[in-house]
Amino acid sequence: MSIFGRKEKETATVIYVSPAGDAREIAVPVGDSVMEGAIKHGVNGIVAECGGACMCATCHVYVDETFLNRLDPMDATEDEMLTCTVSPRRPNSRLSCQIRVTQELAGLIVRLPETQV
Amino acid sequence: MFVFDPYSPEMDSNPFPAYETLREQYPCMWSEHARMWILSRYDDIANAVQDWQTYSSAKGNMMDELPGRTGFTLGSTDPPRHDRLRALIMGAFTKKSLEYLAEPARKLARQTIDEFAPKRTFDFVTDFSSRVTVGTLFLMMGLPDEDHTTVRRRVLLMIQSDKATRQKGPEHIEAFQTLVDYVRGQVAKRRLAPKDDLITKLIESEIDGDRLAENEIVMTSMTLIMAGVESLSSFMSMMALNMHDFPDARRKVIANPELMAPAIEESLRFNTSAQRFRRVLMRDVELHGQRMRAGDFVCLCYGSGNRDPRKFPNPDVYDVERRPQGHLGFGGGKHLCLGTAMARLVTETAMREFFARIPEYGLTIDKLNWTSSTTFRSPTSLPFAIQ
Repeated sequence: MSIFGRKEKETATVIYVSPAGDAREIAVPVGDSVMEGAIKHGVNGIVAECGGACMCATCHVYVDETFLNRLDPMDATEDEMLTCTVSPRRPNSRLSCQIRVTQELAGLIVRLPETQV
Repeated sequence: MFVFDPYSPEMDSNPFPAYETLREQYPCMWSEHARMWILSRYDDIANAVQDWQTYSSAKGNMMDELPGRTGFTLGSTDPPRHDRLRALIMGAFTKKSLEYLAEPARKLARQTIDEFAPKRTFDFVTDFSSRVTVGTLFLMMGLPDEDHTTVRRRVLLMIQSDKATRQKGPEHIEAFQTLVDYVRGQVAKRRLAPKDDLITKLIESEIDGDRLAENEIVMTSMTLIMAGVESLSSFMSMMALNMHDFPDARRKVIANPELMAPAIEESLRFNTSAQRFRRVLMRDVELHGQRMRAGDFVCLCYGSGNRDPRKFPNPDVYDVERRPQGHLGFGGGKHLCLGTAMARLVTETAMREFFARIPEYGLTIDKLNWTSSTTFRSPTSLPFAIQ
């Protein structure tokens, strides 16, 4: 506990798995999006052309089924944008800019699609 | 005393020295000539495009706005309505759904080259880029081929501003109104006889059970026409100019066509056609020691952010292998250009055809003329000789 309210930023681990099967574990600050965690650590395979505004469908990921029901449900815009992905949409498709990292999601596994653009 | 005047002819031809002064000395500057704040550093612009609650588009996005657009186009609407409208239209602009345009664009490129190549001299703008881009856009929107020339002429007029009065002149507004009437007529025709085209899709689109309003359909179609005619054609022309000015880069791309895609990204960074857009502040903001007030307009100078050395090392070097992640050539955030996939597809297709037939070319004049616009930047013509 810090007197001035300064504390180490809390993080939670997110595991990004490339189409080839290579996994990268990244400690993403709680409150950041899964997309931001990838971009800030140079994970290949997330483009995020619009920068996190849910407007380009280039941060598409396949969420590991065991985590699916722990995510906030998608809104209508994300649902429509997911019809615009270049790699096929699946039942576990999400836009990673719309997934906020929380402690409950620690260990989240997302698989990256073959291509984003 | 440094002034930033987006109405000056230097700003049309070469804004980059002024951009550098802005970035280094006046990163948040009130321009009396533009009557708005100018943001020129990459981080400030990237932040503003994400923060739509503060930097709103609801009072228009063009530096000099046209009457009746605001609130009815994607670029001049804020979320949540914007997001719903955009998600609906986006389906027509994905890479997958645009594949049907590649072959017609290629054919059009070949056909126009066949026409001008025997002359050995040609104007890249009127003979090539505008014909390929307007042709492809018309196909997508279902507009009649015979209207190419008049529609393009009106678009070129309506995007300009009067340098003396520093606003749109009557001729610019008249060109806009005439085109609005034309599009309204096209919408009316689709209502009677729906076609397999984008205007029909807009008419039939629903948001939460509501159809789009007539003015939304008309003004959104207008914006798509403006972007397709002006931004896309201008961008292709700028790319041809870059490839002319940097022959080593051109020869590299021709020798290795895989470099065409990264070269397009570098041209988008180096000299995007949409140099400046505007927002309006919804609250007071302090930035770099300046206090901007709610209600003030703010210019986001994409062309400057793309040359910010804090983001892109050696920003004034044109490097086809740079692969500039996060460039502002298509803007960003909620209002990221809708036509990114289309611009990439049509430019790559057309430029591949062009280079296959015309690998070496040179300008036949010393000094280019530039479009008089506070928002867009492009040469009015590019007279080339085939070498």
